[in-house]
Amino acid sequence: MSIEAINEQLLRAIGVGVALFDMETLEARFRNDTFIEWFGPADRAGGLLDLFPGLDVDALRDVLAVGGRHTAETSFKMRRRTMTVAMEFNRAGGEGERIAVLVCQNITRIKELESMIDSYSVMVERNTREIKREKEQVEKLLLDMMPRGAYEEYKSSGIVAPRLFEPVSVLALDFVGFDALLAAHDPGVVVSELNDIYGAFDRIGEQFGCERTRTHGDSYVAVSGVPDPSAEHAVAVANAAVRYLRYLRQRNQSHPIQWNARVGLATGAVVGSVVGVQRYIYDVFGPAVTEALALRGGAEPMSILTEATLAELLDESFDAVSAGDGDAVVLTERLAAAPGARNFGL
Amino acid sequence: MKNSLYDKYGGFSSISRIVMALYDRLLDDDDVGPFFDDVDLPKLIDHQTKFISALMGGPASFSDGHIQRAHAHMIVSDAHFDQLKSLVRETLEEFEIEPEDIEAVLGEFEVRRHLLVGTGHVD
Repeated sequence: MSIEAINEQLLRAIGVGVALFDMETLEARFRNDTFIEWFGPADRAGGLLDLFPGLDVDALRDVLAVGGRHTAETSFKMRRRTMTVAMEFNRAGGEGERIAVLVCQNITRIKELESMIDSYSVMVERNTREIKREKEQVEKLLLDMMPRGAYEEYKSSGIVAPRLFEPVSVLALDFVGFDALLAAHDPGVVVSELNDIYGAFDRIGEQFGCERTRTHGDSYVAVSGVPDPSAEHAVAVANAAVRYLRYLRQRNQSHPIQWNARVGLATGAVVGSVVGVQRYIYDVFGPAVTEALALRGGAEPMSILTEATLAELLDESFDAVSAGDGDAVVLTERLAAAPGARNFGL
Repeated sequence: MKNSLYDKYGGFSSISRIVMALYDRLLDDDDVGPFFDDVDLPKLIDHQTKFISALMGGPASFSDGHIQRAHAHMIVSDAHFDQLKSLVRETLEEFEIEPEDIEAVLGEFEVRRHLLVGTGHVD
């Protein structure tokens, strides 16, 4: 067998489609087996435009005339599989001949893999978005349950170590006759109103630097100076307390259910920690909390009871009158508001 | 846990080979292949990728409603379903997935038979 014959046999058998086209007539001069398998039997019309109607023949001729190469892609179905073939045209032949060599590489698998990666990327991106959204929801929930500082500690170490905060001030509030309210009205209505009131307290507290730490039924406890120390902790709880009562007085004028609160304020030390292994909650407890709860118990309806040590930390916006019972003083807001006092629209 | 199958066999880099192998088998099969005659390539690959990922507990999941809608235009018989199942089995065996894991995957597949078989209609 001659070298030429061996070459031709090889050319016919390789997995790359090869064809030669006469650039004058655009007819095929040669097609190997792979090319025929992909683009039709040998007796089929072999014109370049018959095979590839979308091919830009003028551009091809121009490129080949200056010795360049022209590339294109074509897709077709073969046994229900979408085949994609990359085509490359090069010029061959001597001066007198204008022959184009077309080499076709099967890039079907590459296209399939590209599709798969696209599909997978979309899946992963969607999952990532969902995970991010869930993470944000969890974060929001945890931030509702504990201060940001405690949350950051919890996130990095999985625990929140108990910390002593001193000095801080604690505000404890409850409602006189709450059980009677529940008995006399639809519980759904009572709880809904309580929600509104606590929501208002939270907003007022936030404006003055107080943070609610817990509610238990009609018991509402807020603290100032936890976890970030504040020199104005006593002023913060006193300001919040008088606004809470002002808010309730205004609210009671236009609502059938009368909410009468009593408030205890105390200053001192508290411990802040996440309590519980499951259903955990960030809480503060300690002498200042105990004292505030005790003072609250002694307060008259719609009044604020505190201790002399806290009253001494306040400015002239407040009046403190001895409750005639040991150290306790009744705190009220001075009616001629101090210059610069803020109006919170209550 | 189903989730571990996806991780156990090397995540996407391994699963992608299974997807391509199953894709080849499905297209070459004269029983179930015709279902894919008129489906364009990106859509078919997308379906296969999600299908295998979901069966192996990867980052895809199909609701029953989604599966039903996707096959609503096809008339799938029990024989087709069995054939598909055996192609999945052969593919997983080729990749040396452990027998009990293959059974777990096929079990997931089997519980969805009612979503495909006998529910289709001709448009």
